[in-house]
Amino acid sequence: MDRRTYLRSVVGATGVAASAATAGCLGALGSSGAEGTVLGPPEQDLSEASHPSYGDEMPNFTVPDPIAGEDVTVADYEGERAVLWTSFYTNCPDGVCPALILRLRRAQAAAAEGGYGDDLALLALTFDPERDTADVLREYAGQQGVDLDAGNWHFLRPESYEAGQSLLEEKFGLVIEKTDSQYENLEYQFPHYGLILLANKQGIVERAYPRGPQTDIESLVEDVERVVTA
Amino acid sequence: MKRRNLLAGLASVGALGGAGAVATGNAPAALGIGGESSDPVDPVTLDTIDAPGSRDGEVTIPADGRPTFVDFFGTWCPPCAEQMPALGEAHDRVGDEVLFASVTTEDVGGSVSESDVADWWREHDGNWLVAADVTAELAAKLDVGGYPTAVALDADGRIAWSDSGVHTADELVARIEAAQNR
Repeated sequence: MDRRTYLRSVVGATGVAASAATAGCLGALGSSGAEGTVLGPPEQDLSEASHPSYGDEMPNFTVPDPIAGEDVTVADYEGERAVLWTSFYTNCPDGVCPALILRLRRAQAAAAEGGYGDDLALLALTFDPERDTADVLREYAGQQGVDLDAGNWHFLRPESYEAGQSLLEEKFGLVIEKTDSQYENLEYQFPHYGLILLANKQGIVERAYPRGPQTDIESLVEDVERVVTA
Repeated sequence: MKRRNLLAGLASVGALGGAGAVATGNAPAALGIGGESSDPVDPVTLDTIDAPGSRDGEVTIPADGRPTFVDFFGTWCPPCAEQMPALGEAHDRVGDEVLFASVTTEDVGGSVSESDVADWWREHDGNWLVAADVTAELAAKLDVGGYPTAVALDADGRIAWSDSGVHTADELVARIEAAQNR
């Protein structure tokens, strides 16, 4: 947390320095973004948001991929793959989650077409591990058009609901709570914050898409391509 | 006739105003990313599925020179099934001047077979063109934000209206006619 605060203040200072330079000395420093980023600052400044945003470190965590039968540790991708991350659950009743998964899945398809699939990791974390078993997730992959054989897609299933809940709250600033369902066929649902994060190969967040389900897909895919192929 | 065209034009301005408000509340436009909706969408060619009202072949969306209506659905999606009767009625009402298609983003030909889609189609009384967008390229261009999503494009291939959720036949027809009159 201290480190995050520290990084934020560095980002802030960089911004001030850059604008001062532009004003005072012919913009020698240029209008570059935060340190370690490929993309320039986003149009919308999200640095005050509770979730990680532009220039922050991508949160590190280890969560099992139940389909591959292995643990995934985000830090292991450093120097290897950019990361596109979201959280979801398969019983999500209102189409928000399929819209999030569609954005990751389209990035996966574009990566395959562009030949950079091995430089990207697509991580979809369920916060409903009780229902989202390996079999359920595998079936969901087929429905959503996810290519599990590409080797770059991981469904992540925390060991328990509580483990996922604290991971999302502590690392991502997202509060998840079970609520009574409005849907007869569901025992419960979760209020859901549709966040997508894009981090570069150095583990620095390049973009946070807080309205993930409505994010313009082609812009997002372009961001991913620029970050991955930089 | 001129007068009628003028009135139709006014009506469509009204409808567009409404659609604009919906789009803004709905997001990309609010973030300033979706402002390019006035540009024509690059056409995408999809494989069509052999099913009632459809055939084994290809379709290019948006159509060249006539309006297009697309319903994005999945066979896994209960609200998409719920949307089917209104789609059937809208299809009957708008006729052949509009390319009318349902498109699934499922992995058709992979984990979901064509006959799975055809069975679902038959079960829900589909009777128009149904196609598979297996790489989600069209879904990306039309910014699908949930299922079902309905999109009406004008004869120039520009998005006139797009919204996710279940809609009535009256609303679908009104949106399609607004796209026709644009």
